[in-house]
Amino acid sequence: MTVRGDFSRQSFLGPDSERIFAEARVAIVGLGGGGSHIAQQLAHLGVGHFRLIDPQEIEDSNLNRLVGGTAKDVEQKMPKVQIAERLIRSIRPSADVRAAQGEWQTSDNLLKDAHVIFGCVDGYRQRMYLEQAARRFCIPYIDIGMDITKLAERQYAVAGQMIVTVPDGPCLSCLGFLTQERLNKEEDDYGDAGIHPQVVWTNGTLASLAVGAFVRMLTPWYDDAGRDFEWLELDGDNQLVSRSRQPEYTLRRPCTHFSPHDRGDPFFELNGLKKGEDLK
Amino acid sequence: LKIIFRATAQFLHAVRADLARPHDFAAERVGFMSIRAAIADDNLILFAEGYHAVADEDYIVDPTVGAMMGQEAIRKALEISLLQPVGMFHVHMHDHVGRPRFSPIDLSEQLKFVPDFFNVRRVPHGAIVLSHDKAAGSVWLNAKTVTGITEFNVVGWRTIFDFAASMFEHQR
Repeated sequence: MTVRGDFSRQSFLGPDSERIFAEARVAIVGLGGGGSHIAQQLAHLGVGHFRLIDPQEIEDSNLNRLVGGTAKDVEQKMPKVQIAERLIRSIRPSADVRAAQGEWQTSDNLLKDAHVIFGCVDGYRQRMYLEQAARRFCIPYIDIGMDITKLAERQYAVAGQMIVTVPDGPCLSCLGFLTQERLNKEEDDYGDAGIHPQVVWTNGTLASLAVGAFVRMLTPWYDDAGRDFEWLELDGDNQLVSRSRQPEYTLRRPCTHFSPHDRGDPFFELNGLKKGEDLK
Repeated sequence: LKIIFRATAQFLHAVRADLARPHDFAAERVGFMSIRAAIADDNLILFAEGYHAVADEDYIVDPTVGAMMGQEAIRKALEISLLQPVGMFHVHMHDHVGRPRFSPIDLSEQLKFVPDFFNVRRVPHGAIVLSHDKAAGSVWLNAKTVTGITEFNVVGWRTIFDFAASMFEHQR
């Protein structure tokens, strides 16, 4: 096993949980306010294999929420994936960490063999693309995101979501989370840089919900068989988490957006194996 | 090269349900899974995408084995791989829990027909044996090279990864 340690305080997760986490391969796309929390929690849990993807370097405005980031990192323009890697290794020195500073579309070799993908990306379109990749490679997808909307002068609505989708189950579009209206609005607003408020405690709450969903997916701690999605909403103003009621009105089954026939690399051929492994 | 076989829990449930159906004279049922593939660094990942039951009339009577496919069953499976860019994995089920193993007859029979799939499509082909809760399997990377599946990954609300025994385990 990659990770060794005393996990007795989480032994209620099952006699095999230590091995399961140590063997798990997780991909985290986006290592900012949400993804950095997730990386830290997964390291504490004992996850053995990390694939980290983010194109950005830390900036001063990230220090209000990026777990593990320091003022010195800002001075040195440290890539966010390197900060996350350092954080993970400070907790679990033997963890297998593979990191790519770039867009995930150019690093999808880090996604394909993951057991779970955590999506911590900005915008609906990026979520749509990332879930498409998760479906193509038949991987559960756990998405988090938050938004702060100005309602009036000195009055803001803080909200967020944690959504889990699994292959063969309803996708973000089936659930009514990804809608054409939202995608169109995002496209219309493209280029409107503005300030997108983000805060550490809300990011941390959503990250914790995502890690909880991950643990529930891998260990027999809580028997909720029969489900095939989860959509939790965070009302940040009232500090409440509740199951979204949106799917009650919009859920469509079976998923018509993704087919099992779309799985895998469409251009796959055995010639793609590394030299020496194609044993002709 | 590690080989990961990935299928959804819903898909495997349906395959097991089909394989558990009684047949008029065969003691067990067999079928084929069609797969697509991808490579990630040092891993070859196989994705189950479809199940193709062997038709009742394509079994032949052979009391020395649990089930024997006729040539027509193999021809139909070859045709699927010819018409679609998929690999084909023969599948059958052993009626127990825990890790299954291919019998010596399973292994010798596979050698008779799996390599033929490379005549129609140069993608991984192979064979899988299921139990009620686990699996084992072998993959042909070309007509002459066969290796074991390293990991079975069952994807669903409960996601499982099982680092499986290879087909060669029974020989150790």
